[in-house]
Formats: sequence, structure tokens, C-alpha cells
Amino acid sequence: MAHVILDSVRKTYPNGYKAVHGADFNISDGEFIVLVGPSGCGKSTLLRMIAGLEDVTDGEIIIGDTVVNDVDPARRDIAMVFQNYALYPHMTVRQNMAYGLKNQRMSKDAIAERITEAAKTLRLEEFLERKPGQLSGGQRQRVAMGRAIVRNPKVFLFDEPLSNLDAKLRTQLRAELKALHKRLSGTFVYVTHDQVEAMSLADRIIIMSAGQVEQIGTPMDLYLQPASRFVADFIGSPSMNMLQGTIGADGHTVDMGNESTLRFAAPIDAQPGTKVDVGIRPEHLQATSSSAAQFGLTVDFIEQLGADTVVHGKLTGQTDPLTLRLTGVHSIATGESFSLHSALENIHLFDSATGKRLN
Amino acid sequence: MKKVQFSRPLFPYLLLVPQLSIIMIFFYWPAAEAIRASFYLEDPFGFGSTFVGLDNYRDTLSGSEYGRVAWFTLIFTTLVAFFSLAIALLLAVKADTVLRGARSYRVALMWVYAIAPPVAGLMAILLFDQRLGPFTHMAQFFGWDFTLGVNYWDTATAMVIVSVWKQIPINFIFFLAGLQSIPRSVREAALIDNPNGLSRFFSVTFPLLAPTGFFLLIINITYALFDTFGVVDLIHKGEPGNNPVTLVYKVFLDGFRGGDLGGSSAQSVILMVLVLILTVVQFRFMERRVHYN
Repeated sequence: MAHVILDSVRKTYPNGYKAVHGADFNISDGEFIVLVGPSGCGKSTLLRMIAGLEDVTDGEIIIGDTVVNDVDPARRDIAMVFQNYALYPHMTVRQNMAYGLKNQRMSKDAIAERITEAAKTLRLEEFLERKPGQLSGGQRQRVAMGRAIVRNPKVFLFDEPLSNLDAKLRTQLRAELKALHKRLSGTFVYVTHDQVEAMSLADRIIIMSAGQVEQIGTPMDLYLQPASRFVADFIGSPSMNMLQGTIGADGHTVDMGNESTLRFAAPIDAQPGTKVDVGIRPEHLQATSSSAAQFGLTVDFIEQLGADTVVHGKLTGQTDPLTLRLTGVHSIATGESFSLHSALENIHLFDSATGKRLN
Repeated sequence: MKKVQFSRPLFPYLLLVPQLSIIMIFFYWPAAEAIRASFYLEDPFGFGSTFVGLDNYRDTLSGSEYGRVAWFTLIFTTLVAFFSLAIALLLAVKADTVLRGARSYRVALMWVYAIAPPVAGLMAILLFDQRLGPFTHMAQFFGWDFTLGVNYWDTATAMVIVSVWKQIPINFIFFLAGLQSIPRSVREAALIDNPNGLSRFFSVTFPLLAPTGFFLLIINITYALFDTFGVVDLIHKGEPGNNPVTLVYKVFLDGFRGGDLGGSSAQSVILMVLVLILTVVQFRFMERRVHYN
């Protein structure tokens, strides 16, 4: 078990492509960190640099108390679980798990003991003598996790381990992974593009975009106080509504056009006249009487999900899309209108030009 | 596989005719003719033949010459197959890790394949020539009095070198393709599991290359046994004398130089049986030990 420190880590590929523009963060001992972002944002590159599979162009990576930039992957005391499992197809499950330990010159008895224990944890006992080709996707991913567990490493690295599995299995393995983390109390670094996975697993999320770290925080930090329009848009499903507004003359109001104005208690950190994006999550909008209305919605279509009803429409009299999420089952017709209201603390303001949070 | 229904039942056979006729004319017919001729004593000038039963086989197998040639062929085949596979594998592994200018390296390693065997033989003659050959000079520098066409084992060395050189590119191409079909993540997993490159190669990469290697082993044995005819012929410059020959070359020598068509046919038939046995043995015993994905 160990902490991991990234000190202004950069990655530039030989062809000049800058994959990571400078990542600075500390991962505490025993923390479950999820790196999340759209594809090509540099999250996998970052993970592979921690693993030692990619060279670090600039900066330092520290695992425990050692700078590992020039340390061989096999000597970093890490274990990695890959998206496509990366099991050795010519070895049995037992041999797959034993391979790394054998190379550490561990005794046969100790290896057998560790495999027995890991197999028990992951319910793999009956598959130990099989080859990966005879296992299902979920079983293979468990073997890959087993191969990581038996090494008892300082840091566990996961590179989108659940992406190749179907939705139901994914949910199941997600829960197992969470339980595993609790059991092992190891340091986990987990890469995914799936924000639901990130939200449900992470102690802290590092959200990345185009090689930059956008925000680091607990899942609820990211949900309640997104630092930028990108984070606001990425976290939450359906994603946050973004409406256009302008900062009013006294610095406390946002003019939404259509004669509606939002008045905030605290002054907004921007010049009057600045264009802003007003972000409101679909679940934070409530139907209200027309006198208290901040927004009007004209319905285009609805999605009935059972537990929720998602209403898609447009801001009345405008073309901006607006989504509303209601709990329970509702029957709503196309063309129907709603008067909507949201508590001010659930309204997020972002500078239209820079995307930075303003309130 | 998609099943196609033909409205006229004879049509599919018509489509097979070109392929079948090639096999018939160039394989079954000569094979049958060889088997027939192996039971006859043929007049070298075509004035008739006499049925002699198994005499041709008896003569061939009891002659000390045949045993000597068979023994040499075994050594030759083993050396050629081993070195052309080993060197090609080494080159493929090294070329696979090259990042900059990978394409040029690969082309440079493959182009030998485009050289016709007679040209390769000719180059070999120049290379190993007793007076002009650079190889001969180099050997002399190290105190080895290399005499192509005079010393039995010197000639054999040249034959092995040229045959290996000619076969490396095709092995290289297959090994490189085999290496590149190993998933990157599997190799990366091995990188994390094993700090020792050599041990990593033999425990992960090599077993995963086994299907390719097995296929190439068959190809290479066949090559060394049969396709080296041109190389052997050119290195002898048509004067085999006391020089080493392979079994296939002996078939040609006895039949077309010695005029013993019956004896040479008997030798061909023996070779056919050998190939059959070899193929069965390889597929039966070796395929089981090979991991296929």
C-alpha cells in the first residue's frame, strides 16, 4: 500500500502530439481514484505512465517514496487490469495468476496459498485449471483481477476493466470491485469514460479533458459544484441544461431574455454585460405555478424510464433545448407547456467565453 | 461458410475443372508414371522396358551411396530449417521493436525473397569463388582454406548458407506477422509480470508464436528437402563429382545424367512415402502440443 504523487507530469508523443499537458495530484494511501473523461483526453496515457508502459516526457511520478520514472514496470510493485483482460492464452487460470509471483522468485507454497485465497475471494476455484479461452467475459475479467490481487501490489491500476462486458455484468462487477477495495484497502487508480462508473466507485474523481485536469474532487463535489462547463456537462445523466444569459448591471442578476431574470444573493464574479451559460440539472427543475416561473418548457417528446420520466422540449418561444426529469410515471403530451422553477443554489453560472464557473 | 445452390448439378464440377486438371497433369499423372516406371528397367534411349518387380528398390536401398546421400540430406535439412527459422525469428523480434523507419528495415529484410533461386546461386558462386570470392578470402583470413567444389564439407557449408539466406525473408515475414498478432496488452501484462526480457520472450511470446512456428517448420523442411534443387545445381555447376547432393538432386542425377529412369523413379517413390510419413507425424504429434488461440 502506498500513496502516488504526480508532479507536473507531461506526455508528448514522438510525432509531437501532446497527450498530457501537466498533471499534478496526490493519491492517498488506500484511496479509490477514478480518472474519467471522454476518449482521447489523456486519462489512459496517464495511467500507462504510472504503470511504466509509457515514458514520462516531463515531471515526476512517485510511488511510495520512490521516483519511478526510470523504474522497470515489473519493479514498480504495481498490478494492472486491462480492458481486454490481457490473460496469457496458453496458460491456465492458475498459471496466469502464478506467473508474476514466480518471476518474483516466491516459493511454490506461498504462491499456491495466495492463489487459493484470491480464487476464493473472486469465486474462481472451479476454473483454476481451465484456460482463458474456456471462460466467459466476466470470468476472464475476474481472473485478470485475481492476477492483480495475488501480487499484493502497492497500487492497483485499472484501464477500463468493465467496458467489454454487458450492462448487467458491469453493474455486478462494479459492486464486487467496490467490495474488493474495501477488503484490500489498497490504492486503486481506475480509468473509465463512463461517468456512472466514476460516480459510483470513486473516493475522488479526476476529470480530464484534452490532456488537462479539469477538476479533482469527490463525486458530490463534481455534481454539486462543477468547476467548469465541461465538468457540468460530463457529470450527470441526462446532462445539464445550458441556457444563455447576460450578467445584469448590478452584478447580482442574470438576464435570461424573455423578460425573466434570476437574482442571486451574492454578487457574481463577472463584469456586467458578460455572456454566461446558465446550467440547471434536469432533476433540479420543478413544475410550478405560472407566477413563480423562471422558465417555460414546450414538450417535444418524453422518455418513460419507469422510475423517472424525462421530458425533452424547448425553452418556450426559443430554440434552446431543455430537459426536465420528473420522478415517477407521468403522461405528458407533445406540445404541452410547463412553467418551471429551480432553487438558486442549484443554478450554475459559467463564463460563455472561458467555461469557468462564476458563482 | 455460405452455402450456394446451383440450379444445374454439373456446374460446380465445371468450376473445379481448371484446378483439378492442373493437379491431375502436374501431380497425379507424373506420380502414377513414377510408380509404374519404378517397377521397370527402362532403356535410356527409349527402346523399350523390362518389368523387374522390386529390383529397382532393392538396388537403391542396398547401395551405400544412397545411405550416404540420405544421411547428408538429413543433416542439410536440419541445419537449413534450424538456422533459417532461428535467424528469421531473431530478426523479426528485433524489427518488431524498431519504431523509427520500421518500414525500411522490413523492406530491407524482405527483398531477398524476390531474388530468383538461379540468381541467388550465381551470387553464391561469386561469393564463394576460389579465387575471387570475398567469403573465400575472409575464410582464408581466419585460417580456413575454403575450397568450393573440391572439399565436400566446404561445398556443403556454401549450400547451407545460400539456402538459409534464401529462406530467411519468408520466415521473417511470417514471424513478424505472428508477433504483431499478439495483443499488445498481453505483452504489456508480461512486462508488468516479468522483469527479464529473455525469460519473458520464452514464457509468453514464444508459446504464442507456436502456431506460426509450427507452420513454418513444415514449410522449411519441405523447402530444404525439395526446393533447394536450384541452389544445389548451381553450386555444383553441373559437376557433382564427389560433392554433397541431396536426395532430390540424386533423383535427377541418376535419372537424367545416369540414364537410370527406373532407379530414379524408385527413389522418387521412396521420397513420396517419406513426405507422407513426415506430414502425418508432424500433424499427429506436434499439433497437439501447439496452442491455438
